[in-house]
Amino acid sequence: MPSPYAPGRYRSTPTLGGGARHLALRFSYGLTPELVSSVKRAGGGLAWFDAQLDRPYDAAADARLCDWWPDLHLDAATIWKRQVDGGRGTWEVMADYARRLLVRRMTSSHQVHEVMTDFWESHLHVPANGDAQGVWRSSYGDVVRRHALGRFDELLVEAITHPAMLIFLDNATSTKAHPNENLGRELLELHTVGVGAYTEDDVKASARILTGWRVDLWRTWEASYSQKDHWTGPVAVGDFRDANADPDGRALTRRYLRHLARHPATARRIARKLAVKFISDTPSEQVVDELAEVYLAHDTAVVPVLRALVRTQEFRQAKGQKLRDPAEDVVASYRALGARVVAPKGGDHAANAVLWQSDAVGMRPAAWPRPDGPPLHGDPWASPSRALASMDVHWSLAGGWWPKKGVTWQSPQQWTPELPIEFRDLVDHLSRAVHGRRSSRQLLRAACEAVEARPGERITRDHRLIAWQFNRLLGVLLDHPHHYHR
Amino acid sequence: MSTPELITPGSPSPCGCPEYAALSRRGLLRGLGAAGLTWSVGSAVVSAAGPAAAGAPTAAATSTAGAGSVLVVLSLRGAADGLSLVVPHGDPAYYAARPRIAVPAEKLLVPDGFFGLHPSLEPLLPLWRSGRLATVHGTGLPVVNRSHFAAMEAVEDAAPGSTERVGWLNRLLGELPGSSPLQGLAAGRAEVPTSLFGPEPVMGFRSLDKTGIAGDDQWDPHGTRVRSLERMWKKSPTPMGRSFRSAMQAVGDLEPARAQADRSAAYPDDDLGRALASVSRTLRGDVGVSLVTVDHGDWDMHTDLGTLAWGRMRREGDSLARGIAAFFADLGPVAERVTLVTVSEFGRRVAENANHGLDHGWGTVMLLAGAGVRGGYHGSWTPLGSGLDADVPVTTDYRSVLAEVVAARTPASPAVVFPGFQRQRVGAMLGQ
Repeated sequence: MPSPYAPGRYRSTPTLGGGARHLALRFSYGLTPELVSSVKRAGGGLAWFDAQLDRPYDAAADARLCDWWPDLHLDAATIWKRQVDGGRGTWEVMADYARRLLVRRMTSSHQVHEVMTDFWESHLHVPANGDAQGVWRSSYGDVVRRHALGRFDELLVEAITHPAMLIFLDNATSTKAHPNENLGRELLELHTVGVGAYTEDDVKASARILTGWRVDLWRTWEASYSQKDHWTGPVAVGDFRDANADPDGRALTRRYLRHLARHPATARRIARKLAVKFISDTPSEQVVDELAEVYLAHDTAVVPVLRALVRTQEFRQAKGQKLRDPAEDVVASYRALGARVVAPKGGDHAANAVLWQSDAVGMRPAAWPRPDGPPLHGDPWASPSRALASMDVHWSLAGGWWPKKGVTWQSPQQWTPELPIEFRDLVDHLSRAVHGRRSSRQLLRAACEAVEARPGERITRDHRLIAWQFNRLLGVLLDHPHHYHR
Repeated sequence: MSTPELITPGSPSPCGCPEYAALSRRGLLRGLGAAGLTWSVGSAVVSAAGPAAAGAPTAAATSTAGAGSVLVVLSLRGAADGLSLVVPHGDPAYYAARPRIAVPAEKLLVPDGFFGLHPSLEPLLPLWRSGRLATVHGTGLPVVNRSHFAAMEAVEDAAPGSTERVGWLNRLLGELPGSSPLQGLAAGRAEVPTSLFGPEPVMGFRSLDKTGIAGDDQWDPHGTRVRSLERMWKKSPTPMGRSFRSAMQAVGDLEPARAQADRSAAYPDDDLGRALASVSRTLRGDVGVSLVTVDHGDWDMHTDLGTLAWGRMRREGDSLARGIAAFFADLGPVAERVTLVTVSEFGRRVAENANHGLDHGWGTVMLLAGAGVRGGYHGSWTPLGSGLDADVPVTTDYRSVLAEVVAARTPASPAVVFPGFQRQRVGAMLGQ
């Protein structure tokens, strides 16, 4: 006897083949009907991916994308003055920054660019929530975006010498008499070669090289280069050596950073992080070596590394193994539900409220408190509290209860391709629409349990499922393991 | 060997174990294998039964713990400067190295001939005076490691050389009887800290009031929501699958904790205060929690560590002291079972830098408070060096302190919890 839970087959709702879906899931914030059709239009996963990488960076288009928070255009001095005068606090402006990140991820058609912006913001992490660096943080984000699919050596030079980074890791007040080691150390440990590839003397020299880059904290917030604060004299960090005789150390800083960007240890570090982010939590040494070679062979350019990564066997075999982090989870849920978010008019509008949802699940974008950036592997996010929080947010979204304003949710009628329809076929349609894949017996059975329906039950216009239970069915889709993983 | 807290006069339970009466039914059924019995009836039986006891009969023999002991590990993230928290005023190098940020000797609290407490720790004086607050100076990793991230991971793994990703608290959980996910609790954060990571199930929440399963409510009288979730997750082999199952198992068991009064208003209005208020409420609910981790802050003070008049040390010290003091006051009689210990990944250097701050160093101080603690200043001291690179030497491996707490307060074997480590006596816990 066939199982009563044999899944339906609603073939007119398109899915992606396994490989294409895998690629689209790893390099986006979740499938949407638009993404599915653009992958199909491109002629498959790799073709879509290559087209995304070939797209030249358009700064003007990027600047227009979800440009709904005017304070993000204020300069550092003005942001600070408003805080001091009792206007909007820096932390509120930075909340806007995180919101804009979330909404861009939700809506942008250039998903690979958004994903890579996220990757580099985490690698060269400067938390947005902090009064000091906060005043410069929006500008820092623009720098990272501009280089997200460019070359790491250029990104590194601009990021490390940016006022937001100089402030966050205390270089902005470092002096030649006693260089502050914070940035010089994290540059080696976190941003480039990694633990084990440098000594304490290297840290000291690294800090000395970086002296001179100043920011006038708590006053004008202007960045400047101060020759009188630059430590001169020979420096050595690993195999980088310089006489450092010029009182203006800026050229030295750039030589030093470009050297670090090209260091084989840096290549392996970047390659490993890319592999952990996009392949699996435990990539092989072999794939790391392979990607590091591509990185070095292409003068630190990122795109060739990504092209190589998606063509490895290890990538192809790693389907569904990456846990979405909290922010990815929330954005993917909005996308899966086909939410239409518009410019917010109040704090309770979706484009603003989504930030609190991301926070509730476990992390706001750009809010990780330490300089190492949020974890790229899943274990830390696989906690019971995460499970409870994710379920909570999914439930609110599935019911369209919160947020209600500044967003359009699909009605049960819009979710239902035709009426009447057999329950098993409706579940298959939803599985295709939300997970991008056919339904399984297990999913059908869970759906039957959630709404107390039989697989063959005929769903009509006035069925209780349509009238008041549809959120329970959407909840099944959002709380399914498929939706938690990418 | 005695177990003073075990037989409570007037205990409502026929077996003489108050925890039995207080455990929720589901927690009771799960927690009480044979091992649960040995744990609950105390160290006399533990020393003769179970894997924990087999490895280290001497540890069990010196345990002062009764049933229901709770260990709270407070992580001072960012590398706390031990020299500011517990000042070695008897070491002249301290004042020489810190012309601007040293704490003047005459301002120190409860000074002895050598050490004294930072004035911001004033809320801890009642604990100190009752002999329930101890400090151990010169603690840390045996080898210098100035990376926050590598050092904290090493501290929390506490198994050098092992490639397994299992934290010491998860190993300790494995040594404790019972398998309830409520036994190990991470408070105040969404992610599982390295110390708790591993095969034993753990629970975490950011706020005790947000521990329900959405949709499992009065509008679902037939429990369809939970049944459907169980269907989807029961076979998932992923880490998320395990966490999902833990969460679903644990939420009902937290009900007695949620029923406790919320006294967070008595705590400092900050993350630590909120986390400790939730922990206290949970412990008062007596739902079978044995281990708790709590994260605290922002101790990475390269700039503006400051003085007694201003700066970050004053602020963090105040938050820490008021939080801990409020916690033990709020616990009431449960405080008799709770031992709190602080860890930090490393300390700061001896000499101040140009920014009223301190760069990365080595040794730091650990604080112990509560049940079983032998109050006072502990640790051996090597005179501080001079020069910009001088460190606080580590004279006590941090694991010796933790092992002493484990030995004193649990039936577990420190040798299993800290593999390959031979502990030295510190004397910061009674009976050790």
